Amino acid sequence: MDQKQLTRQQLLKFDGREGRPAYVAYKGKVYDVTGSFLWMGGRHQALHRAGEDLTDVLDTAPHGEDLLERVPLIGMLIP
Amino acid sequence: MARVAREMVERSGVNVDQLLELLVKNAAAELTTFYYYTILRVNLIGLEGEGIKEIAETARIEDRNHFEALVPRIYELGGKLPDDMKVFHDMSACPPASLPKKADDVQAVLKVLVEAERCAVRGYTQICNMTAGKDHRTYDLALAILNEEIEHESWFSEFLGEGPSGHFLRRGETSPFVSKFMK
Repeated sequence: MDQKQLTRQQLLKFDGREGRPAYVAYKGKVYDVTGSFLWMGGRHQALHRAGEDLTDVLDTAPHGEDLLERVPLIGMLIP
Repeated sequence: MARVAREMVERSGVNVDQLLELLVKNAAAELTTFYYYTILRVNLIGLEGEGIKEIAETARIEDRNHFEALVPRIYELGGKLPDDMKVFHDMSACPPASLPKKADDVQAVLKVLVEAERCAVRGYTQICNMTAGKDHRTYDLALAILNEEIEHESWFSEFLGEGPSGHFLRRGETSPFVSKFMK
């Protein structure tokens, strides 16, 4: 499958609300969390929203990046 | 609502609405886990399954206790449980601990159990991190639950052969850490 290339501005549109796909970025990679129970409605644990770059916040989460390996990697974040 | 209690938490810098959402989501995780564990326990049969049934039952009962212990704190802080049980289920902080397709696969059941406990450990760690030194009562409660969730994770992890944890099954009453919130 072709990898998507998204800017931060484009990423914001994939917020998981009103039926839209839910994407998040981490360390330059874009992941599709639409099918994840933990991202239903584009929100995660009351603290995070889809459409965001989580690179700076994952350090404060009670889990590592290994959990992102459970969702599809669909592209790259570009400047 | 305990007005001053909420005010004290707000003044400490905690986002109370965010905290309440997390508490409700974790309460949902506890009650739904209690339900799903009932099905898992029923299906733990045979030589291998029967050996795990009792400890799964302890975890099931303790998860229900966690739900019971969380509810008063939610209302004290001015929150509430959703009116609709379906909404409550779907807002759970953890995915459903569903019975594996091959219900007699004890290893698969154990993986469901350990994943559910790991999700809970993450959730209460988050609440402890948010409330430490700020919201003493919620912290005390979340820490008590965390202590029990870590033991649950350890039990199931040992059954999966992931290595020793130094824990043993309960002797005596359930919820040694959380029971003080249920009296």
